[in-house]
Amino acid sequence: MTENILAMNKFKILSIIAVVTVVSVLLTACGKDKRSTGWEYAPNMYEHIAYDPDQPNTNFKDGKTAQLPPAGTIPIGFVRFDYPNTKEGYERASVEVVNKYIATKQSLADGKILFEHFCSPCHGIQGQGDGLVVQHGFPAPPSYSKGNSSRGGAMKDLTDGKIYHTITYGLNAMGSYASQLAPDERWKVVLYVHQLQKL
Amino acid sequence: MRNVSLLLKQISRLLFIVAAFVAFGTTAHAQDPAKGEALFKSSNCGSCHKIDIRMTGPALGPTITSEPDEAYLIKWIQNNQALIAAKNPKALTIYNEYNQSQMSVFTNLSDQDVKDILGYVKDQWKKVQAAKATPTGDGSGAVADSGPSNVMLLGLIGVIVIAFLIILVLNRVIGTLERLLLQKQGILPEDTEEEEKPAVDRLATVKILAKNKKFVFFVVLCLVVGLGSWTWVTLWNTNVHQGYQPVQPIKYSHQLHAGAMKIDCQYCHSGAYKSKNASIPSLNVCMNCHKVVKTESPEIQKIYNALGYDPQTQKYDSTKAKPIQWVRIHNLPDFAYFNHSQHVKVGGIKCQACHGPIQEMQEVYQYSPLTMKWCIQCHKRTEVNFKGNAYYDRMTDVHDRIKRGERVTEASLGGIECGKCHY
Repeated sequence: MTENILAMNKFKILSIIAVVTVVSVLLTACGKDKRSTGWEYAPNMYEHIAYDPDQPNTNFKDGKTAQLPPAGTIPIGFVRFDYPNTKEGYERASVEVVNKYIATKQSLADGKILFEHFCSPCHGIQGQGDGLVVQHGFPAPPSYSKGNSSRGGAMKDLTDGKIYHTITYGLNAMGSYASQLAPDERWKVVLYVHQLQKL
Repeated sequence: MRNVSLLLKQISRLLFIVAAFVAFGTTAHAQDPAKGEALFKSSNCGSCHKIDIRMTGPALGPTITSEPDEAYLIKWIQNNQALIAAKNPKALTIYNEYNQSQMSVFTNLSDQDVKDILGYVKDQWKKVQAAKATPTGDGSGAVADSGPSNVMLLGLIGVIVIAFLIILVLNRVIGTLERLLLQKQGILPEDTEEEEKPAVDRLATVKILAKNKKFVFFVVLCLVVGLGSWTWVTLWNTNVHQGYQPVQPIKYSHQLHAGAMKIDCQYCHSGAYKSKNASIPSLNVCMNCHKVVKTESPEIQKIYNALGYDPQTQKYDSTKAKPIQWVRIHNLPDFAYFNHSQHVKVGGIKCQACHGPIQEMQEVYQYSPLTMKWCIQCHKRTEVNFKGNAYYDRMTDVHDRIKRGERVTEASLGGIECGKCHY
């Protein structure tokens, strides 16, 4: 009888050890729910009192933290571009506006990077209107060197002002890039587009 | 006689010419869709027009089929500017309806070319309408395609569960049957007596085990190891959000946009190169493409709803706008300052160094732990590129001056910058 109990003892001890290890492994692995951030200690530094621009905010009527500046105000460093999004504005910009940057190695290199990041998805690396997005079904823009503009004239003859106007306001299927490219960045892109017009 | 034969000859020649004219005329009036398709593509009509829906210009199918005057259409397509300048009322209304955006002039297209294009458009429009009339083929097929995977999975799980239950029930039945058999044979005593014995037995074994010091030691050891390892892992993972992958309000795929289309990260996260935040793109960036692309997708419709945008009229109604609340994944506590432009622009570090294979993620998750240890490790290993960086030029200059035994003041180390005191 005693032998029997001892034998059972060993078996039970082994089984209990097995159960404990399995449970502990399961418990420690349990914390990995990908939809949850997991346990947090002192989360007040993560969810701080100050509002992030993209957070909801009950202090404003529309519930957003990011508010539009009051009408008629101008941010510091704002560059005026008094040419409206009309044919007249476009033609006037063509005559009056000149690029403030000169084509140097550095400014062209900057323009190239900006062009590749913001324009080439549609216009293509060579500006031929054959970017990867176009190959996936976006309507093709005209080639800078061979195409014609819908506002008349050849694309290769587009002036500083016309290109800048188009980047600022967009045209046809192209949207405005004013929110993504600052004025000086737009001018660098214009420099680089002039290079592509010669291809 | 000669006169008559001459006359006949002339008549036959005339007839031949007339017949040729008629033949030529009928071929000239026919619209060749194949030729039209080539012209449609080479003239880039698709840049502004779609057959079935409005884009930059009107939807071609319905507009062309409803226009009775083909001569007007040809004139418009060849030179719309001339029609507008001549103040043609039809031309003016459509010009104003589409925000006075100009259509390209196609004076290079002959009347016949335009007719071919019109033929192609009408052909396509018929095909679109035919496809719409039999929507069951496409729609249900797509649903059925995505359906089976879930149904099959659930079904399999169900089958397994049912099989398991059957096994359990059968075991029970076998057990009771065997017991009944044994009872009938008189080997086993009645149920009531049997139930008391094991209860006593169990308690007895527990008591014996509790007195066994070796066993108690093992149990305590197991508890210490188990709880200890759990505490260790839990404490290390507290506040570490690595692998966090929340459900976002729109199923935006980085795999498609950054992977397949190779759109640069900066296109949407334009703040990464010039500010502390990489910035979540506002919806106007989505609309750069999705005004035109995938307009029928329910996920894109969410963008339209958020903007109060009506794809039919292409107008925005800001009163209906309701911002999309993306769920933040990467969140540093306020006591740590991190600047994207410092790392991306100055340091020249690739986005993937911290964010992982983002171009392969259908759903974004936090790749790096973002712990202090992780930051420090990278800062210990990364070599500084001094070249072309004015900040380090000045620093090495100051060092050289110290070596030459020259005087170095606070000012030469930026000590009179306003921000040194007034921050």
